[in-house]
Amino acid sequence: MSASPAIVVDKLTRRYGDFTAVNDVSFQVEKGEIFGYLGANGAGKTTTIRMLCGLLSPSEGDAIVAGHQLSKNPERIKRAIGYMSQKFSLYTELTLKANLEFFGGAYGLWGKALRRRIAEVVELVDLQGRENVVTGDLPGGMRQRVALAGAILHSPDILFLDEPTAGVDPLARRRFWTLIRSLAESGTTIFVTTHYMDEAEYCARVGLMVAGRLPALDTPDGLKKHFVPGRLWVVRGPDLLTGDAAARLSALPGAIDVQTMGAGLRLRVQHDAPITEQTLQQALARPVEIDQDEANLEDVFLAVVDADSQQAGTAKAFGGS
Amino acid sequence: MSAVTAAGPFRWLVQLWAVVVKEVRQTVQDKRIMALIVIAPFLQLVLLGFAIDLDVDQVPTIVVDMDRTPESRHAVAALMADGSLTAVGTAGSPSDADAALDRGDAAVVLIVPEGYARDLARGEPTQVQVLLDGTDPTRSGIAGGAAVRYFGEQGFSLAKQRLAAVAPDVQISAIDVRSRLAYNPSLSTPIYMVPGIAGMLLLIITTIVTAMGLSREREVGTLEQIRVTPLPTAVLMLGKVLPFVAVGLFDVTLALTAGVYIFDVPIRGSMLDFYIVTSLFLLTTVGVGLFLAAVSKTQQQAFVGAFLFILPAILLSGTMTPIHAMPDWMQPMTLLNPLRFYLEAIRAILLKGASLSDVPVQTAALLVYGLLILGFASLLFRKRLD
Amino acid sequence: MWLFLTRVGAMAGKETLHIRRDPLTLWLGLALPLFLLILFGFGISFDLDHIPLAVVDQDNTTESRELRQLFTAGSEFVFAGALDNPDDALDAFAKSQAHAVLTIPEGYAAALSRGENVEVGLILDAADANSAQQALARADAFAQLASAQAAQRRGLDIAGSMPVSARTWTRYNPAGRSALFLVPGVTAYVMALVSVLLTALAVSKEWEQGSMEQLFATPVRRAEIVVGKLLPYLGMGIIQVLLVLVAGTWIFGLPTNGNGLVVALGSLLFMVGMLGQGLLISIVARNQMVASLTAVMTAMLPSMLLSGFMFPVENMPLPLRTLSNMVPARYYIQVLRGTLLKDNGFAELAVPLMLLAAFATLMMVVSTVMFKRKLA
Repeated sequence: MSASPAIVVDKLTRRYGDFTAVNDVSFQVEKGEIFGYLGANGAGKTTTIRMLCGLLSPSEGDAIVAGHQLSKNPERIKRAIGYMSQKFSLYTELTLKANLEFFGGAYGLWGKALRRRIAEVVELVDLQGRENVVTGDLPGGMRQRVALAGAILHSPDILFLDEPTAGVDPLARRRFWTLIRSLAESGTTIFVTTHYMDEAEYCARVGLMVAGRLPALDTPDGLKKHFVPGRLWVVRGPDLLTGDAAARLSALPGAIDVQTMGAGLRLRVQHDAPITEQTLQQALARPVEIDQDEANLEDVFLAVVDADSQQAGTAKAFGGS
Repeated sequence: MSAVTAAGPFRWLVQLWAVVVKEVRQTVQDKRIMALIVIAPFLQLVLLGFAIDLDVDQVPTIVVDMDRTPESRHAVAALMADGSLTAVGTAGSPSDADAALDRGDAAVVLIVPEGYARDLARGEPTQVQVLLDGTDPTRSGIAGGAAVRYFGEQGFSLAKQRLAAVAPDVQISAIDVRSRLAYNPSLSTPIYMVPGIAGMLLLIITTIVTAMGLSREREVGTLEQIRVTPLPTAVLMLGKVLPFVAVGLFDVTLALTAGVYIFDVPIRGSMLDFYIVTSLFLLTTVGVGLFLAAVSKTQQQAFVGAFLFILPAILLSGTMTPIHAMPDWMQPMTLLNPLRFYLEAIRAILLKGASLSDVPVQTAALLVYGLLILGFASLLFRKRLD
Repeated sequence: MWLFLTRVGAMAGKETLHIRRDPLTLWLGLALPLFLLILFGFGISFDLDHIPLAVVDQDNTTESRELRQLFTAGSEFVFAGALDNPDDALDAFAKSQAHAVLTIPEGYAAALSRGENVEVGLILDAADANSAQQALARADAFAQLASAQAAQRRGLDIAGSMPVSARTWTRYNPAGRSALFLVPGVTAYVMALVSVLLTALAVSKEWEQGSMEQLFATPVRRAEIVVGKLLPYLGMGIIQVLLVLVAGTWIFGLPTNGNGLVVALGSLLFMVGMLGQGLLISIVARNQMVASLTAVMTAMLPSMLLSGFMFPVENMPLPLRTLSNMVPARYYIQVLRGTLLKDNGFAELAVPLMLLAAFATLMMVVSTVMFKRKLA
């Protein structure tokens, strides 16, 4: 394996009339990496993935996927990638085996090699013994594993997953992610979009899309450090949501913001702020339970969206004369 | 690390086979579609074959015999014996008969005037009146024609007899038509209709199934899944269409077999020629189906679209009524209709024993239309995918 | 009663909104009937017209040419060219160049001048049996005329002093135009097709999307739902009937001398029956695909084949004739033809009107009952 990246995206843009779904996006995905693509609905995640899979042609920009240029060689790319969309695109009236035979055939697999690969992937996704079940009769979690099986039949170098766990129960989601990680360990590059923040934590690096642009891209820890700096305290106790508790906390030196969290409050302060459990107790002047907390990707997401809308607001204020 | 896959042209075969197998499995799964494509055509052929009988005979007639003589009774009986008309009742006066015509109890009133026998004997001209219900022009035309012809012949031979009596050496010639009915001496309507119905069924089934099958893949999202595979669009379409071409050929064969055994349809030409023009026609129907799949977003739209294409195509094809009976401005429109050429070709091949060289225009038209429509639809389909 | 009316009004208003928002329904409902009327009215004709006639003139005399002209002077036959030999007839048929071949034998003129009988040959492409049968009858009539003319040429006026002849009077449709016969049939066919298909689709869509369940949660009663849903389609149906009849009058010269009240009553009864049938289908099928196929099978095909619209019912075998008694379009066509062409009134059309009323009542009752049962 050479060290060149699995995916290189260069100023990719897609417009629908006046609307720009993906706006000048550039990034790289390393080989064997699990790359997460986060964003609200309509932020442009699916449009990006569809362009990279050759389902949609970019308005501007280009990309190199699995060593092939998107604009020149989309057919070669198709052989090297697997794709699983948010809808389970299976033939629900056909059996698991019939589905896999069809998609295998579409990749040019046949005969013994096809049978062997079907047996392998069925074992991998742990659906042995269900080969002859009509996929429409399977529960959602299993159906999603069948779809995954269909996407990896041809042993792709890169696997694109577009919200693969939408509408699947938490247990099945965890199981699915175990599968994804084992695939990544065996060398497959994973490009996954999601809006579950906990899933994004599994990713080596995460890109955050807001309104068609990619304002943030880093490891989950790096993102947290950059966008949610400081320390976090959680305060739990009686009557915190009424009265002036929140105001008292925000008045502390070095406090950045205060949010409600369940029945308690969550306070973020600057790293060097002189705040301890005692200062908090004193500020609130009542007995409370105090814990340290860590930033999560949801904080990052909100911070990025916030920063982005402020920027957009400024731009608008200057632009509108 | 990629798995071993087939290469070159062999890869296409592998891919094509995968699509065909999938398509067959899907069809066999869905009992409704199976019923639609296998049983319905057979039932329709039989039903249509029996229902569409345009032969007009036994038109219900009311007789008003105001003469009441052996001569008048003889004339009525002789006319009825011809079979075109059948007496369903008598009436005392023309106005009673009129009312019966209004009610629809009869379609013809035959009035033999008082003094019919007397006038005949005296050599004075007499006239029988035939009152026709003209709502169905075909029926009234044939009924009236039968009466006029019978009394005309009677009159002619009587005139000859009288002339012979007056001037024995003067002859009057009669021009007779000696007719020969080619291909269908018993004048059976189903013989003409069965090929028409077969073509109609072929059109309906292959167009609807192609249009709906592809739009379903789009609606369900499997089309997108296929498009990230290296399966070429052309192979996908070919694979989807081939099984239904086979079904179409099967249906036509079934219809033809039923036609031969139930309605005595002759097969005078070569079956090879028949299947060649049928295959050419399928290019069109499949192309139209593909076109509809390209322009419609849902199966419902595809269905309505197919319906809106099929109905005019059948009407403007000469399936049920001859094209030469259409108004002049409408006849050229049938030249745009591939079904017209298909029907002309298969009727000529089956009923008249024609070969492909006898129907070069029809064959060429089917080929040209088929390639044009299929080519255009494929381009559009590819474009609409993006 | 007041409450009933408001609820029905609300249902009807909602359904009207649906129809107005859905261009496909509007298109199907209003443009399709006109389109079909024109297509059927012009495209289907059983008139014997323009049959291409090839002639083998072995006599080649003034008289033989006159015979040819006699045959092709009217609109029944058109001259499609001369052939050398009657044996070429089949070849011409196979190539669809001619549908009939007239052979005038050598010595035709000579025989006529001597007063001898003479036979002309007519070979017909009888594959199209109907055209062939009509062509045969016309040819016989032409031959009779030619005989009389031949006698006249020799100074023997037979035509003027025929001892017996038949005189025909055609009532209701004197010009014998197929269009007049077909337009009432097209009206019935289009109404049947469009109303059954539209209601079946509209209501089964509601089942499919689950909005029907939602309706049941409201205090609206079943009968109110049924009436409310059908009212807008009934309105559309009435517009369709008017549209088709007005177009039929303008385009095809359909006479308008009938009793308007009978037409209105018959149309109303027929529409209600068809809408009821559509509703019933949607209740049983509950799925758009199955509903549309069932509508095609139970409304479109019978209304075309077993109604007497194009193909006379009298000629059918007994099982089909029995079946045709159950097709309401048959009675509606009877009412339309009766009033519009024959100037019939209530007296003559009481039976078909009653049968239409019976069908409408049956459909409404059965579908309301089924509707209730489906929910229980």
